[in-house]
Amino acid sequence: MSLIVEREQKDLTSILKLRGVLDFSTTNLINPYLEEIKEIDELIIDFSELEFIDSTGIGSILDAIHMSQEKNFKIELTGVNDLAHEVFEMVGVYTILNAVQGGEQ
Amino acid sequence: MYRNNLKYDHVKSEQEDGGVSKTLKREINLAKNIQSTLLNGNTPEIDGGEVVGSSLPARLIGGDYYDFYPLVNGKVRIVIGDVMGKGIPAAMLMILTRGAFRTAAESTRSPGATLTSMNHALYKDLRKLRSFVTLFCADWDPDTGILTYANAGHNAPLYINDKNKEVVTLNDVSGVMVGGLPNQTYNEGSIELGNNDIVFFYTDGIVEAQNSSGEQYQMDRLMETLDTHREKNVNAIQDEVIKSIHHFTNGEPQRDDITMVLLKVNSEHSDITSYNMPVIDS
Repeated sequence: MSLIVEREQKDLTSILKLRGVLDFSTTNLINPYLEEIKEIDELIIDFSELEFIDSTGIGSILDAIHMSQEKNFKIELTGVNDLAHEVFEMVGVYTILNAVQGGEQ
Repeated sequence: MYRNNLKYDHVKSEQEDGGVSKTLKREINLAKNIQSTLLNGNTPEIDGGEVVGSSLPARLIGGDYYDFYPLVNGKVRIVIGDVMGKGIPAAMLMILTRGAFRTAAESTRSPGATLTSMNHALYKDLRKLRSFVTLFCADWDPDTGILTYANAGHNAPLYINDKNKEVVTLNDVSGVMVGGLPNQTYNEGSIELGNNDIVFFYTDGIVEAQNSSGEQYQMDRLMETLDTHREKNVNAIQDEVIKSIHHFTNGEPQRDDITMVLLKVNSEHSDITSYNMPVIDS
């Protein structure tokens, strides 16, 4: 099981496309992409080809959300399948995203 | 000479590595014993009802957590949780979580207040460490049969209704994981449990257990296992769940920690024999 991260840059929008498994064994592969983000308006994380995400993977997504607040960019989660959507909703990823982007935090 | 020095250093390094490795193994085993002792503490004895909990770490030590805390009013507070990640880092945060629960359980009057207090105590540390904990907390009142609960991003427990012969997910009261946002309050839900009803609290390591084809155990199998063995006592049901998971995974290595807590009502009126000092009077 592995993770392939594809990065695309369109003007001031970065797109990270995740393919495979984002878990304890692969989360280190997404972190360098997040760390090198600079001066963008928007980060889109595309989950449409993600097969599985565990709590460590969710931790990376939360890092990106909190980073969006520090570096002042918008973040959008797209292509989230039903299973991942259920997990995101359960643990509170969307609530955190809304709070951070709404400036409630 | 240079080579000799290198060789000498290499040999020395191997010896040192061996020593470090042995020390590390010994310390990991000691850590495992500490965690195992704290996790598998006393289970309260209940007249007319029974509770049991167990945890199988995927590695030597794990990040799952469960606990029971008897309250002065005869209720028992139950918590189950899952720390982000695996292994030693998760285990260290699990111990931190346990301390926060024990402190919060003493000073708060409800499961929602316990989670609020735990989030308040842990939020800054967890954010700094880029981690989080999902927790489900419930108070069971054996006098009224009412289970009151609150959820911080955890899997909602399963409710095995003896009267209707059905296994359903407990109505959820969703809340954000502990460590996700500051100043969180957690809504509470409640349910009246009847005789022989069971509540099954669990972590996702159960439903996400995989076989060699990469197929997951999933909720349907868990519900079917609980339904099949509903008439047994909590220890036997727990054994059947573990047996069923092992049968399904068929020797595949365990990928995540597996933890469960079962509460079963065995009579109309129950009394808790507390093993701890009573602390609150709500």
